[in-house]
Amino acid sequence: MNYFKTIINGIVKENPTFVLLLGMCPTLATTTSAVNGLGMGVATMFVLICSNTFISLLKNVIPDGVRIPCYIVVIASFVTLLQMLMQAYVPDLYKTLGIFIPLIVVNCIILGRAEAFAAKNNVLASICDGIGIGIGFTVALTLLGFVRELLGNGAVFGYRVFPESMNMLVFVLAPGAFITLGLLMAIVNSVKNRKA
Amino acid sequence: MKKLESNIANMAIVLTLIAVVAGGLLAWVNNVTAGPIEQINSQAIENGIKSVILGDREIEFTVEAPVEKDGFVFHAVNDMSGNLLGTAVESTDKNGFGGALKIMVGLDPEGVILGYEVLEHSETPGLGAQANDWFRQKSGEVQEQSTVTTVLLGAPGKPGNHNIIGMNPGDDMMIVSKDGGDVDAITASTITSKAFLRAVNAAYKAVFGYTAADAVSGASSQN
Repeated sequence: MNYFKTIINGIVKENPTFVLLLGMCPTLATTTSAVNGLGMGVATMFVLICSNTFISLLKNVIPDGVRIPCYIVVIASFVTLLQMLMQAYVPDLYKTLGIFIPLIVVNCIILGRAEAFAAKNNVLASICDGIGIGIGFTVALTLLGFVRELLGNGAVFGYRVFPESMNMLVFVLAPGAFITLGLLMAIVNSVKNRKA
Repeated sequence: MKKLESNIANMAIVLTLIAVVAGGLLAWVNNVTAGPIEQINSQAIENGIKSVILGDREIEFTVEAPVEKDGFVFHAVNDMSGNLLGTAVESTDKNGFGGALKIMVGLDPEGVILGYEVLEHSETPGLGAQANDWFRQKSGEVQEQSTVTTVLLGAPGKPGNHNIIGMNPGDDMMIVSKDGGDVDAITASTITSKAFLRAVNAAYKAVFGYTAADAVSGASSQN
């Protein structure tokens, strides 16, 4: 198995946001600014790599009948660990993302990768899959946040580039998330089709 | 190694073991991080007190031990000769847009608002989350809307006031202008604004016993 290919696969061919359309709830909720999207992506990537590693290690010990509860316990534990560590050591980021961190537990990307990849592959490949999918998710969220922040708040990573009078508030609100996601997916698909 | 069979004994043992290990790990990390988290929180309170009472002023001050009552926390702040500079009140309103909204508001001995800080909130980023800045901006800082915004969200209201610093909840109607008050709500975040002002009024009421907004809200009257 080519590990590098696994990583690229997660970023491009199986991009969780633009191709698999997994984890839409945090995607739409957290991407009001580029920094929020980036933070959420990195936090999810951390949990994803940890849970993939452990589930791959434990895959032969866990009987099939209780695999989902076991996966959930592993994932929820890592999310809670992350929450406590962030609260203690990066309080500023925690303040921004605080309410979204517990949402990682129910992010179907993580359970999806545990079931579809980590439970069938060795540890190293599972870590690579976690890195790939994690980067794919982070890039997608940052991109979404970037566009929404630019149009809705007239700013790039918090720095104002357009005057406040040009803000289109709708892009910061929920409808703007759907509109932006739809447009970005259309662009990604069109680029992919041209290549193929 | 062959996969464990899914019989009841195997399943019970494995699930229990995983839960116990996870529980132990969580307890350990909780133990390790409890100290730093506590320190960060008390540091935030300390900075909050300084900011809501003194603002930009450079005065030496002492803070009395906090008094907790009815869900409020009062920090009386004195200058070095023992005169009361003001009281920083921690006040929480449970009905923000995304959950509880906790603020600290500084009131001078007459009840004039010296400053405020949003301590904890779950409001929408870019909208309700602006509360920490919005209620100290002067009305002149409000900018005109673009045509697109007007089409999407309706015409802007007349430029009003949403700077609460210097207001006195005993004399001023500290409710949103939509309800006949003196304070303009954050654009597209009326629920957050109402929760914020309720928390300010509640803090004032906890110290002085009444607010000007009481008469309108009908919650209780001054007589």
